[in-house]
Amino acid sequence: MAEKDVIVVGGGLAGLACAMNLAADGTHVHLVSLVPVKRSHSVCAQGGINAVNDVTRAQGDSEHLHLDDTVYGGDFLQHQPPVKEMCDRAPGIIDLMDRLGVTFNRTPEGFRDQRRFGGTLFKRTAFAGATTGQQLIYALDEQARRWEAEGNITKYEYHDFLSPILNDNGVCRGAVIQDLFTMEIKAIPAGAVVLATGGNGLVFGRSTMSTICTGSASARAFRHGVRYANGEFMQVHPTAIPGTDKLRLMSESARGEGGRVWVPKTPQDPRDPKEIPAGERYYFLEERYPKYGNLVPRDIATREIFDVCVNQGLSVEQGRLCVYLDVTELPPTTQQKLDGILEIYEKFQGVNPRVVPMKIFPAIHYSMGGLWADYVKETKTGGLVENAPKNQMTNISGLYAIGEADYQYHGANRLGANSLLSCIFTGLFVAPCVASHVASSAEDIPLSLIDGAKKKETERHNAVAKMNGAENPRALHDELGDTMTRNVTVVRNNTALAETVAKVAELRERFKNVGSPDSGGWSNQSVTFVRALDDMITMAEVIAQGALMRDECRGAHFKPDFMIESPDADDPAALREQAVEWCKKFKAKNDKWLKSTIADYNGGDVQYSYEEVDTTLVPPRPRTYGLKGAEIIEEVWREQFSEKATAGAA
Amino acid sequence: MSSQSATSPQAAAAISPREKYYFLARRLHSITGLMFSGFVCFHLLVNATILASGESFEFCVEKIHILEHMGLLVPVEMATIFFPIAFHALFGIVILLTSQPNMTDYAYGGNIRYTLQRWSAVVILVFLVMHIWHMHWLGKPFGGAQFDPENATSTAASAMQSWALWAPIYALGVLATAFHLANGVWTALITWGVTIGPRSQKVSGYVCAALGAFLLVAGLGAVRGFMTYQIPADGEEAAVVEQANGDDH
Amino acid sequence: MSKKVKVNIKRQDSPDSGSYWQSFELPVEDGMNVTTILLRIAATPTTVEGEKVAPVAYDACCLEEVCGACSMRINGKVRQACSALVHNLLDEQPEITLEPMTKFPRVRDLLVDRRRLFEGLKRVKAWVPVDGYGERGKPDRMSQPDQEESYPLSRCMSCGCCMEACPQYNDKDDFVGPHAISQAILFNTIPAGKPLEDERLDALAAAGGIAACGNAQNCVKVCPKDIPLTTSIAKAGRATTFHTIKRFLTR
Repeated sequence: MAEKDVIVVGGGLAGLACAMNLAADGTHVHLVSLVPVKRSHSVCAQGGINAVNDVTRAQGDSEHLHLDDTVYGGDFLQHQPPVKEMCDRAPGIIDLMDRLGVTFNRTPEGFRDQRRFGGTLFKRTAFAGATTGQQLIYALDEQARRWEAEGNITKYEYHDFLSPILNDNGVCRGAVIQDLFTMEIKAIPAGAVVLATGGNGLVFGRSTMSTICTGSASARAFRHGVRYANGEFMQVHPTAIPGTDKLRLMSESARGEGGRVWVPKTPQDPRDPKEIPAGERYYFLEERYPKYGNLVPRDIATREIFDVCVNQGLSVEQGRLCVYLDVTELPPTTQQKLDGILEIYEKFQGVNPRVVPMKIFPAIHYSMGGLWADYVKETKTGGLVENAPKNQMTNISGLYAIGEADYQYHGANRLGANSLLSCIFTGLFVAPCVASHVASSAEDIPLSLIDGAKKKETERHNAVAKMNGAENPRALHDELGDTMTRNVTVVRNNTALAETVAKVAELRERFKNVGSPDSGGWSNQSVTFVRALDDMITMAEVIAQGALMRDECRGAHFKPDFMIESPDADDPAALREQAVEWCKKFKAKNDKWLKSTIADYNGGDVQYSYEEVDTTLVPPRPRTYGLKGAEIIEEVWREQFSEKATAGAA
Repeated sequence: MSSQSATSPQAAAAISPREKYYFLARRLHSITGLMFSGFVCFHLLVNATILASGESFEFCVEKIHILEHMGLLVPVEMATIFFPIAFHALFGIVILLTSQPNMTDYAYGGNIRYTLQRWSAVVILVFLVMHIWHMHWLGKPFGGAQFDPENATSTAASAMQSWALWAPIYALGVLATAFHLANGVWTALITWGVTIGPRSQKVSGYVCAALGAFLLVAGLGAVRGFMTYQIPADGEEAAVVEQANGDDH
Repeated sequence: MSKKVKVNIKRQDSPDSGSYWQSFELPVEDGMNVTTILLRIAATPTTVEGEKVAPVAYDACCLEEVCGACSMRINGKVRQACSALVHNLLDEQPEITLEPMTKFPRVRDLLVDRRRLFEGLKRVKAWVPVDGYGERGKPDRMSQPDQEESYPLSRCMSCGCCMEACPQYNDKDDFVGPHAISQAILFNTIPAGKPLEDERLDALAAAGGIAACGNAQNCVKVCPKDIPLTTSIAKAGRATTFHTIKRFLTR
């Protein structure tokens, strides 16, 4: 019955949601994970999960506004039907998680409490202390354990996904995995494989991501023909704590609960921050964005930190991007809601953030891009067709991508607290789609196919284990991370990007001369790392090349050379004229660039193309957070451009 | 639907009798410990009356032995002391064998007490065997049983004074017992879920420590009392004591 | 920076082979933690004697003390390698020692197999037995005090520190361990978990359940998340008492 089985790779929120939903309907699931699933990277998510709720609804909120905030925050670079489906189902997902025992914070009356997150004016975010991701994944981990006890889920923890098994027609019929204790290579036949393997922050060396977030599974699927989309869109989180081994996240919830970002008006003011009077502090986000204040979308906050630190030289510490995040003025009951994250700061920095403002830095945080995945649009509602096998399926039949590993939901920039939602949503939603695909493709899986795939991967493993060149893989990784962090994060320009592409190509060459320092037969982590390094170089190529080719500013991808100049005339008529010009340029830019970058491996000669985006539900409009002349631009856009856009879409 | 079988009563019935017995045995171990604690308190307090006078100890022992005249002493001793302590000791050995103390790595107060609880158990076990042999009628077949309730004070004192090491041995026994008892009561309060939070456990810790200290003082006082007791010259001979015991039982 | 730290690591090549010690010396960095030490050793695995050796195998994932992966014995005490800062460790003793946990089967070097820990969660059925994952309307409300009581318990990351430090958790007994007891209490506290309350108490009243606890209370001392494990244990003691009496009387 192997052809009826499903392999789910990745045990984070998306993978577990998918596995439990499949298992509940009687499908046998092979759950493959690099670490025990309870330790997946989803535990690091802190702030919360978004959904329209009774409180925001009373203030005029709706699922449509959630969709609007998401696509506006994402600079319209996402197909809208899947986003609509996600936002529509979000309230039900929160209710489900509540039923599963998640200890969401409560109001005095016993309802779920909500906080506000970036990119919205509504308090849509349900949370469990400052460890929401941990609480959500534990609820799903428990369900997976329940189905494991029932025999519906077989776990393969400490197993690495090596490759999908494709038959002669290019249909996915299983996966090859490796036991990271015994190093044994196993091939598992299955009717479908779901990749829920997360992001690729380690391409940038240190990030807020866990050690397992190398993007290796995505890269391996990519090399087997799965298209990779929007790789250049990497979210840089504005607030993280630097460390020697990783950059630890300081959640947006610190600002959601009232934390304020500031720098001293005197550059590198040597005084204790507590002693700097309010008048000598520059609350730059509040001053520049009166509407959203400290809760502007992440790409904006990050860029403003960059601007204040680099262009204005006001960084708290010379030579790095460092600003104060201040929760010291919050009442103790509010600070208590942030205990989980404040403890992290205290533990790793040795300073009590309840008393002393935190020093924080931007850091690579989330991959908006990912494996290309399909969807089936329900034309009546504008959402998705339930149970359709093609939903979340990659261009390889039977191979699915969900969670952070897919590219669908966040466009050019993800809103805070939407990631947990997209992960659980895709996991739950894809399960019946996978099941109907499996039901419709019942042909046998020949043993020769399985054995062939296993043999190929065994050979590859042995070849890597024997590599004994002079290049140190860890040093290569450091070089890769340094280059990527320097040139492909907050601010990008084509010279540096071209250098990066060349540098990555050089690393690709030098990789051939890597030496694997370990010949051990048990838990050979060096071989595993060398293979992941290979994959990270592949990912870096896609990210850097995509960034180089995209000559515009969109969401997290910021190229000042291609910025449309803001209207700045004093005379109203001239200002209006400038705004019309601005809108024209913006429209032309959108016509050219409102498209997803698609990378196709093509046997090693990677091809890049662009895919049109379905924006039929919310017509694209200029993203004007804090933009100079925002009002006049919005006015002009409404009058002269928006009808055209809606008419074109209809 | 398998989700229903997860809540079915079969799952509960799957627990074997051996498993059920283990929990009950551990609880019985706790109960027997508490029973024996009661006896020890009583015993040490009676002994401590020697500090008042030889006569008062004599008087107490006499009162206890009223039970003997009713033919109840042995059954009561067996039911409330001997069998409980035998079970407590034997099952205690089973528990001891599952333990892997790590006091040197984790020198926390609780862990030190945990380890001392097990060491003191061994000390008490050895001491108890010696003590029963030394004083109690059960020791008679092995040449012990020097205590005669009819001449309680003088026989007890002479038994204690018969060997220079008895005093330190009894002092050590009393120390181990006072600790094991006090700590045992403290853990029993947790085991039965009486003291739940850290604060209540701290308070009960102080109360138990006071109880242990009191018993220690009473016990050591009694040892000193018997050691310093002037045995009257016209006291009965040991042979007579044995004769009397033989007659009674 | 000139200051150096010597790190002694207990190593083992495979589950069946013997263990041996190796020492490494490396420069101290600002804010350095033990996972950074292991990362640096992986980059240049050379011992103090100058011998090139295989990198040290170890478990790590989130590096911010929420995943529970990197538990090991550091200076003789179990804790998370990511939050063990070098300058604090050097206050304890002049050199740093790293050993694998002793209560779980060793795989290689500092890497152990903690499957028994997760089996414990199965034994106490630490989950909510929902009918299915479709919509079922609004869930029950939960009071603020109940949330505040259960939230700390729900932060348990199954790191295994409590079991490593527990003198009753070992090969001689099948003790389920403090973390599983605490999870059983969590699920018996939250409204959604109630349907399995009796089954969890049955499990806790079975061999290797609550009765195996010897009240050494190391668990609560070593727990990196400050979970009130001993409170859960005492609650389990009370609940199993009443439960057993109820079972006896209702049968």
